[in-house]
Amino acid sequence: MEKFFRRNFAGYAFLAPWLIGFFLLAIGPILASLYLSFTKYNIVRPPQWIGLDNYFYMFQFDDRFKKALQVTFSFVVISVPAKLIFALGVAMALDKGIRAIGWYRALFYLPSILGGSIAVAILWRQLFNYDGVVNSALRLVGLDGPYWLADPKYSLWTLIVLAVWQFGSPMLIFLAGLRAIPQELYEAAEIDAAGPLRKFFAITVPLLAPVIFFNLVLQMIEAFKSFSGAFIISGGSGAPLDSLLFFTVYLYDEAFSYLRMGYASALAWVLLLIIAAFTAIAFWTSKYWVHYENERG
Amino acid sequence: MTDTAISATTLTAQQYREARARRAKRAGLLKHVFLIATSLIMIYPLIWMISASFKPDNQIFGSLSLWPQTFDWDNYGQGWNALSVSFTRFFLNSTFVTVLSVIGNVISCSFAAYAFARLEFTGKNMWFALMMMTLMVPYHVVLIPQYLLFLNLGWVNTYLPLIVPKFLAGEAFFIFLMIQFFRQLPRELDEAAMIDGCSPFKIYWAIIMPLSLPAMATAAIFSFIWTWEDFLGPLVYLNKVEDYTVPLALRMFLSQDGASQYGPMFAMSILSILPIFLFFIIFQRLIIRGIAMSGLK
Amino acid sequence: MASVTLSEVRKAYSGFEVIHGIDLDVHSGEFLVLVGPSGCGKSTLLRMIAGLEEITDGTIAIGDRIVNDLPASQRNLSMVFQSYALYPHMSVRKNLAFGLGNLRMPKPEIARRVADAARILQIEELLERKPRQLSGGQKQRVAIGRAIVREPQLFLFDEPLSNLDAELRVQMRVELAGLYQRLGTTMIYVTHDQIEAMTMATRIVVLNKGNVEQVGTPYELYNFPRNLFVASFIGSPKMNLLAATIADGKADIPGLGTIALPPGIAAAGPITIGLRPEQLTIDASGPLTLSGTITLVEYLGSEVFIYLRLQTGQTLLVKAPGKSSHHNGEKLTISLHPDDAHYFDAKGNRLARAGE
Repeated sequence: MEKFFRRNFAGYAFLAPWLIGFFLLAIGPILASLYLSFTKYNIVRPPQWIGLDNYFYMFQFDDRFKKALQVTFSFVVISVPAKLIFALGVAMALDKGIRAIGWYRALFYLPSILGGSIAVAILWRQLFNYDGVVNSALRLVGLDGPYWLADPKYSLWTLIVLAVWQFGSPMLIFLAGLRAIPQELYEAAEIDAAGPLRKFFAITVPLLAPVIFFNLVLQMIEAFKSFSGAFIISGGSGAPLDSLLFFTVYLYDEAFSYLRMGYASALAWVLLLIIAAFTAIAFWTSKYWVHYENERG
Repeated sequence: MTDTAISATTLTAQQYREARARRAKRAGLLKHVFLIATSLIMIYPLIWMISASFKPDNQIFGSLSLWPQTFDWDNYGQGWNALSVSFTRFFLNSTFVTVLSVIGNVISCSFAAYAFARLEFTGKNMWFALMMMTLMVPYHVVLIPQYLLFLNLGWVNTYLPLIVPKFLAGEAFFIFLMIQFFRQLPRELDEAAMIDGCSPFKIYWAIIMPLSLPAMATAAIFSFIWTWEDFLGPLVYLNKVEDYTVPLALRMFLSQDGASQYGPMFAMSILSILPIFLFFIIFQRLIIRGIAMSGLK
Repeated sequence: MASVTLSEVRKAYSGFEVIHGIDLDVHSGEFLVLVGPSGCGKSTLLRMIAGLEEITDGTIAIGDRIVNDLPASQRNLSMVFQSYALYPHMSVRKNLAFGLGNLRMPKPEIARRVADAARILQIEELLERKPRQLSGGQKQRVAIGRAIVREPQLFLFDEPLSNLDAELRVQMRVELAGLYQRLGTTMIYVTHDQIEAMTMATRIVVLNKGNVEQVGTPYELYNFPRNLFVASFIGSPKMNLLAATIADGKADIPGLGTIALPPGIAAAGPITIGLRPEQLTIDASGPLTLSGTITLVEYLGSEVFIYLRLQTGQTLLVKAPGKSSHHNGEKLTISLHPDDAHYFDAKGNRLARAGE
């Protein structure tokens, strides 16, 4: 017993802050929100158990919930692949010792660093104004841009562009992955008379698959979590016509505008399950297309 | 006979080499055109915002021009005092929260990382798996119970909910980054130190930390950027204008009526991202290496 | 100076035993070398003595004190690691002083010991440098210096020379032997290189698969190997082995002939006869002569190794003086002297002759 204590003391002493945080701020709240999701709770009066009512209501009657799901899925499904393709394209252009790579890398990464800030969200609102920069640019080529922010048909695109604009971190990760592919493989392929397209699909893609997978999972989770851009650009409400009602925005609105803490907790759990499901699907399918080099047949 | 055969092949080899060099040069040129064009588009919005911060309101919209007709520093003076509380206060608030958060993150996360990377204790693998899982959990899921917890502690409208969690190693990303770094340090160093009479804490403090300054700096920089840009946390926990951090203050420009303050708003937006921008310029290499190493965010 | 006593020491990693109950007495003041092929458990054993690995079962005593539960720092020993493990962020001086500072030793005493160690190892002019500014040999000296400033009762070395090039290795071997003579402290030294073991040790422990095969002086191991494993592990080039059968006090080597056994060897059935390359002589003087064709000649200057293929298809390695001239394809006749040979029973254990 004494030996057991001595062996574990240092480890747990160093882990203590994290452990406290984990129980108080992570697992505790996750379980608490599961409980709250079965209640009606407005902070003023104590939580009142209502079973699965929040969930029934959500799936049967709540049109805003459905709208939020639709908006969020559209955002994830369009912005994540677009961002990754763009990131990979630029990374490939940067690979193989191009001149001034440091400059390009820094320039391309800068938006990712600033992109989460309110300043950029504010800027975006102005760029996509009817008489903003984007429409001015379109006018140069003779196009009449729409009311990006006021027209529900177009509003989501502003956020998709904002997301793709921040392609810097997946790009850096791709770049590191590309560097790890041995040059000899391309040379061997060249001797085998492979063209650029064939080299890309026969060497780059399979060898980069673990990195692509990693970026995919990560960016997906990030996309589901994203909040401040949508919050600022939609004025905090998901406007116009809830076309920017991200799940996170809806959740915030329910919790802190209407103080429906129980219902918002149910929304939180649905979000958690959606992310978990998407991640699980990604992992499950990955065994068909991701092969790790040190894997044994 | 043999002679001519040899010269024929060398000739073709040389021609082949030349053709290849020509092709490579053309491809390189194309690549640079693509990269320069992309980086201009990437960077254009930011430069436009800088220029807009010097323009009078009536010149901001409907123009793609990056060069103001007149440089109007007034926007900065006006913006600084445009709200009911001066930006001096907001910047001080943000600085206070950010500095303490950075300290908290570096200390608590390095503790946890040291335990995971270097110490043996029962249940280590389980805790590690749980730690990695928290990477996936969106802040929105724990937000409501955390809010209720801090509400009961009487911490709402103080900075404690923004700072205390940082001392509890809540940022799994930093822990992961540090673990990766610690693992690169040879274990024999710890063992030599053990024989030299070091306690686990002394090994952490005198051996591991001095050798991990790049990792600590990377974590500190990211911690700085994320805390400085954080919007949701302050939005939920700070309700008094004089407590606001800079992002919350910026948002007030949007919710104000009569929206004729674009110049000052852009001026303050520029100032709000200036610290991040400077950090990025100074620590660019650390940031980029940190991402490539951890493969995250 | 201290003795070290291991009794029934075992080590298991999650149920899988890698050290199977080792008993070992390390005498005070001796230079004991643990040697064996990779994976034999020699490093694990050393690390258990150091206190870097927990002991699954058994006891380890240093002097009279059982140290099973004592942390490494309180065992009053020092260790030199294979990778030197110098603290990269500290100067050489700090590296040497670090452990002494942890013992809260007075500053002047630390300074004196560091100066002494630096003088002994001739690293005085390196004291202000960082480890990355040192060559491999210099790092090695600093690592040894860090061990000797503690003036411990026991030194542990974990393959300290294996990162050095061949020339430096020989030089450091001589220096380590000199250091041992000067300090006289108990040393336990792990290596996979049997030449290091033979040249430096007062006694050698041969380990194999977590068991002790034999403990003895280099002379004993070379001349009286207790079993086939030790016989073929110690000695370079390797001992020649021939299968034989004993009947009527004579050994019959199939296809080659029969020899009379030295007195005292009593066994029946299959045995193995071991002959070191220098125990085969190129003449026809012995009671049994063997002839064959040379397939390879390795000329080393002072000596020549001859690979001789017999009619039976077996190849024997013969050591001859450097001056002798032989060439591939040459027919050669050699003599086998039964009194010089080693005999092992069917299980591989040594068959002792009279008077051993």
